[in-house]
Amino acid sequence: MAHPLLAGAPGSTHLFLGNEAIVRGAIEAGIQFVSCYPGTPSSEVPDTFFRLSPEGSYTFEYSVNEKVALEVAGGATLAGALSMATMKHVGVNVAADPLLTLTYVGSPGGFMLLSADDPGCHSSQNEQDNRIYARIAGMPCLEPSTAQEAKDMTRAALTMSRALGAPVLLRTTTRVNHLRGPVVLSEPTVLPKPAGFQKNPSKFVPIPAFARPMHLRLMEMLEKAREIAETSPFNTVSGSGTVGVIASGISRAYLSDALAEADIAAAMVKVLDLGFSHPLPEKLIAKFMEGLTTLLVIEELEPVLETEIRALAQRLGLSLTILGKTPGPLPRNGEYDVAMVAGALRQALGLPEPEKLACACGTDPVVALPNRPPNLCAGCPHRATYFAVRKIFGDSAVYSSDIGCYTLGILPPLKAADFLLCMGSSVSAGCGVSKASGQTVVGFIGDSTFFHSGITGLVNAVFNRHDILLVILDNRTTAMTGHQPNPGVDKTTLGDNPSMVDIEPLVRGIGIDQIRKVNPLNQKATLKAIEELKALSGVRVLIAEEPCPLFARRAYGVKRTQVAYVAADCAQAAADGSCGDCLNTLACPAFHLEDGKMAIDPILCAGCMLCLQVCKNIKARKGDAK
Amino acid sequence: MSTPNNIRLRIFMTGVGGQGTLTATTLLARAALAAGLPVTSGEIHGMAQRGGVVESTLLIGCKSPKIGHGEADILLGFEPLETLRALPYLKPGGLVLSSTESLPPLSVATGKETAPGVEEIRAKILARCASACFLPCRTLGLEAGAVQSGNIALLGALCALGVLPFGREVVEETIRATMKPKVAEINLKALNLGAACPA
Repeated sequence: MAHPLLAGAPGSTHLFLGNEAIVRGAIEAGIQFVSCYPGTPSSEVPDTFFRLSPEGSYTFEYSVNEKVALEVAGGATLAGALSMATMKHVGVNVAADPLLTLTYVGSPGGFMLLSADDPGCHSSQNEQDNRIYARIAGMPCLEPSTAQEAKDMTRAALTMSRALGAPVLLRTTTRVNHLRGPVVLSEPTVLPKPAGFQKNPSKFVPIPAFARPMHLRLMEMLEKAREIAETSPFNTVSGSGTVGVIASGISRAYLSDALAEADIAAAMVKVLDLGFSHPLPEKLIAKFMEGLTTLLVIEELEPVLETEIRALAQRLGLSLTILGKTPGPLPRNGEYDVAMVAGALRQALGLPEPEKLACACGTDPVVALPNRPPNLCAGCPHRATYFAVRKIFGDSAVYSSDIGCYTLGILPPLKAADFLLCMGSSVSAGCGVSKASGQTVVGFIGDSTFFHSGITGLVNAVFNRHDILLVILDNRTTAMTGHQPNPGVDKTTLGDNPSMVDIEPLVRGIGIDQIRKVNPLNQKATLKAIEELKALSGVRVLIAEEPCPLFARRAYGVKRTQVAYVAADCAQAAADGSCGDCLNTLACPAFHLEDGKMAIDPILCAGCMLCLQVCKNIKARKGDAK
Repeated sequence: MSTPNNIRLRIFMTGVGGQGTLTATTLLARAALAAGLPVTSGEIHGMAQRGGVVESTLLIGCKSPKIGHGEADILLGFEPLETLRALPYLKPGGLVLSSTESLPPLSVATGKETAPGVEEIRAKILARCASACFLPCRTLGLEAGAVQSGNIALLGALCALGVLPFGREVVEETIRATMKPKVAEINLKALNLGAACPA
């Protein structure tokens, strides 16, 4: 049976994840080309396209990084294909170079960029607000707040982009990407085959003489887009009164629920829901502000709309009070919620703050409980690599980390992440540390991150004769974001990868011959290789290759055959503190103390048998297939 | 029960990565939609999948996918320590359903920190909540045929308490409609085992 995302009947209602709704919106617009680099909270968009690709009428690729993804999709739209590229917010930084010129060159077939922002840093290193990219690149920007809008706005963004011949930004935030809600489907559009690239150098080659008029054309396009925003169905006015609220993105959902709170519902509030937020629909907002004494602007992160609306009010000579986050009452960081928005509304309305909403705990808060930080899974080969590296280098090396599951190596007892900047920085920033200080540096990078932007740093390390030991943690997949393929994999969830790029000859090919390749679950060989590389200097690479056990189960059909258990004599030893080294140094989630004695949970044990190599008192027995 | 138009119900769910908290949330959201209710659910994952805390929400009659402190009508805890940790989300007079079988955080498992025991957690919850229901989800899941179905047992108990604006049969139909027959059979069994728990 075909998936409802592809074949759902127009008019039917389905429960979709925000990210699935984006896929459906693109299919309804007639999407022809999709590229991406995965990253939370965007990943389910490309993953859904990938899963459906055998039945879909679009071309899909996991590109090696966001810059490449944007360039590939940029080429596709120049050839006339309705295209999109998806990435998380920090990925747009990687893609910013082509993006800021693609808006000059234009997108004849239509092009939408999905930027999935992460206020609150749920799974990111920063909480930058990518609506600012819409301003510096010159892109119309739509911001959905529900699953239905995620679908409708994707469709509208792609259709509008094709009509304007200009890239459009769909800006989401984690809560929108990862909410589920009902979505009513519409009839998909069937587009003609891409017309092919039409030569016209003055239009498509931004040499200075051509770039100047391109910039003028971009500004003209933005004025056309502003006219569309003025009457867009995504910008709606409701209510009445002298206090107004303008909200965008997920804040609109919080506003909607706050407006239903009894004291606020009894007051008069005029609301402008701004779904199509850039270019600012100035006429609509000017009309909305007529007769208002107070205006509250609600948007997460930067005061982007607030600043633009203040400028507009100043230009119009209005004297209304504008509240937002400069200086307050709303913050410029983190996520909002219903209570926060209701509080700001009450301030704007001059309503008293009701007695603090009590919780079931009453005044007696739940006492401090032990935290539960995420941890590398049982059987994770990264644990084995970190254990071996730490055994040899201890605290004598600076551990330059990178982005992936293995960043979790930061936690004790492994403590294998001392600093981190961005994707690929383990190599280059690690080189900087060793060059500036002479300190010993061990860098850790995953296979997907290595292909993303580690290669360039490694080439630089060779060229500039840096001194670094780079450990490539090759677990044969892009694990953290959900097991997406990368150029190095031999298997994907859809079958074999016939065009694998092998890391070892690649590294050799850039002139590095101090290479060792090991399976980290073989500790003896791993320790030997690390010892050898430690004794050398210059650029050294250790490839620690072993599939992620979660992926191996899915893609290779690997079944667990053995589980580890603690032999009785050892359990006795642990009680008096004379043993327990494995418990304290491996941090495997299957380990625990049972009545003060070390024990291994047979359900959680993945059967990697690393612990058997650490302690002779741990033995293997036949385990149920898992 | 009131008409679907004016129901407002907020359910906060919490568990540990890998327990199936999100599967349970999606199942319940699909059942709510099948019952014709305006449902929104939310989830936070990513880093949390690797053995960390996984929190999700299910809201009926609301637009926000988030639940703030003191807002949840029902708290579903798939792990007792996480139930206790999430208690501030529950509104006064709210209902708690929790598994009694713990998955200790690493620091506790390795003896570096201590966590309250299951009996202590139960007592703390009962001291604060008028209505609470405890069941051994992992055991019930194993009895049904797969440890992962333990979360569905908790949903079974929730259905049996009659606090949802739809009946257990809607959840049963949703399980049949969305899962492979073999998996559905296990989950239906878990649902029934859980439903038998509330005294």
